[in-house]
Amino acid sequence: MSMAAKGIGTLKFLLTCWKLNLASAMEYRLSFFMLAGMMFINNFMWLFFWSLFFGRFQVVNGWDLSDVMMLWAVGAGGFGWANMLFGNFNRIAPIVSGGQLDVYLSQPKPVLLHVLASRMSLTAVGDFMFGLVIYGWVGDHSLRGALLFTAGLIISGVLIMAVTIIGGCLSFYVGNSEGIANQVFNSFLALSTYPSDIFRGFAKALLFSIIPAGFISYLPIGLMRDFDAIFVLEAVAVTLGFLGIGIFFFHRGLRKYSSGNAIALRG
Amino acid sequence: MNAMNAMNAMKLMKAAAVARITWRQQLAYKTDFLMRSSFLLLILFVFVQLWGAAYQGDTTRVINGYTLKQIIWYLVFTEAITMAVPALCGLIENEVKSGDIAIRLIRPFSYVGYHYSSYLAEAIFRFFIHLAIGSIIAWTFAGPPSFGVGWAGLFALTLGAITIAFLLNMIVALCAFWVEETRGMEFVLHKLQFTVGGMLLPLDLMPEWLQRICAWMPFQAMLYFPARTAVNYGEASLLQQFGIQAAWIVVLAAAVMFMYRRGVAKLHVNGG
Repeated sequence: MSMAAKGIGTLKFLLTCWKLNLASAMEYRLSFFMLAGMMFINNFMWLFFWSLFFGRFQVVNGWDLSDVMMLWAVGAGGFGWANMLFGNFNRIAPIVSGGQLDVYLSQPKPVLLHVLASRMSLTAVGDFMFGLVIYGWVGDHSLRGALLFTAGLIISGVLIMAVTIIGGCLSFYVGNSEGIANQVFNSFLALSTYPSDIFRGFAKALLFSIIPAGFISYLPIGLMRDFDAIFVLEAVAVTLGFLGIGIFFFHRGLRKYSSGNAIALRG
Repeated sequence: MNAMNAMNAMKLMKAAAVARITWRQQLAYKTDFLMRSSFLLLILFVFVQLWGAAYQGDTTRVINGYTLKQIIWYLVFTEAITMAVPALCGLIENEVKSGDIAIRLIRPFSYVGYHYSSYLAEAIFRFFIHLAIGSIIAWTFAGPPSFGVGWAGLFALTLGAITIAFLLNMIVALCAFWVEETRGMEFVLHKLQFTVGGMLLPLDLMPEWLQRICAWMPFQAMLYFPARTAVNYGEASLLQQFGIQAAWIVVLAAAVMFMYRRGVAKLHVNGG
């Protein structure tokens, strides 16, 4: 089979997964809208805090309220689409340690992609909508602005997913690492929602290297407000690099994977 | 009179036994504790950076009665209290849904009293652990907590604070008798603590209109009172703060007892 045909086949498969996930979410419509609405309010409460904070300080290390709002738009929006389309990315650790990979391994589809696309997070819809609403509120609505915002969403979503996959893959090597994987995920999300310029020295160096949250939290400035080509290139390279490492870890981990005699089925 | 005293002593012994069991349970899950604690360290580190940037590193600057050091320690205290509060809503919701509540109801100990004993033991344990962990960050970046009698104010008001937190959570949890899901309401409660409770920002730094609203809510008595008293002792009368806490405890306890009586009367548990 040619590469193009394989690519089209995979895309069709993904579209079917997403369609089924959406249909399944819509079975529980009330719960779906409630959870999405809750996440929307949650993010909004954070912005309320920031509005009080900036009401007192106006500008902090070059950041004002609209920059932080865009940071939340790009962070929550990126997390939202990633968790809507690839909602298992933060559940790799329990899937591996619970021996639930068997069902994916037995099917002729790319294992990691299949695992990731097999779930849609209901709360994530609220995050994604929140991102769009905040962009509509304070973002740059020109074509250039919209394209840069879209690029920011892609970078933040893929980077959050890549770092979380790496954390989840620890389960292949150290057994049940659900706690550590959750910690990696929560810490990374927390770090990526504060202005990168409040950090100094070693902490800042970490945020732009092994804990690459800075490549998300600097997007409102380096990508959208004062376009900095070097930062953007670095952000893209780091995102692809971490994604590559995640995929590599997952496939290396598969060789070590073992499961018990539990029979797993997907509903 | 003697019989009354003996009964009260018995009740206290039961509560102490529940507290002992809870402490043992807490000590059994050390990894979980370490995880939560490391997250607290991270969050406090981020706050140190954020407020350091807001104060432009100036340790002598005073904003609305707070120096940088006072703000950092204030956040340690509010975080320690917030993270001390155990997740009560999920626990009670599960007991009602699964029917496990029946086991608790047949025991010779009040249902709310049982949960309060267990809650208090866990909350006190977690408060001191989180306070110790948070202090590492604050001491390192902001200096020693030389608050003198402020510490006495903190500990005295924290007991009332976690009792108010219990009652607020219990009100939401008892809704499980009528509705299937209390998660949404618990979520709103947490968000109110987070903002109007002064968890991330002392109420003194908020706009005047918001401060006026907060003054009429129970949330300030939960986080703001103990933390503000610790770092700014004497700013407000301790007696007045105790009075407000006591008034809220009476009002909320009455609401809890009313809801519990109404709820348990309509409870049906099948099988077992």
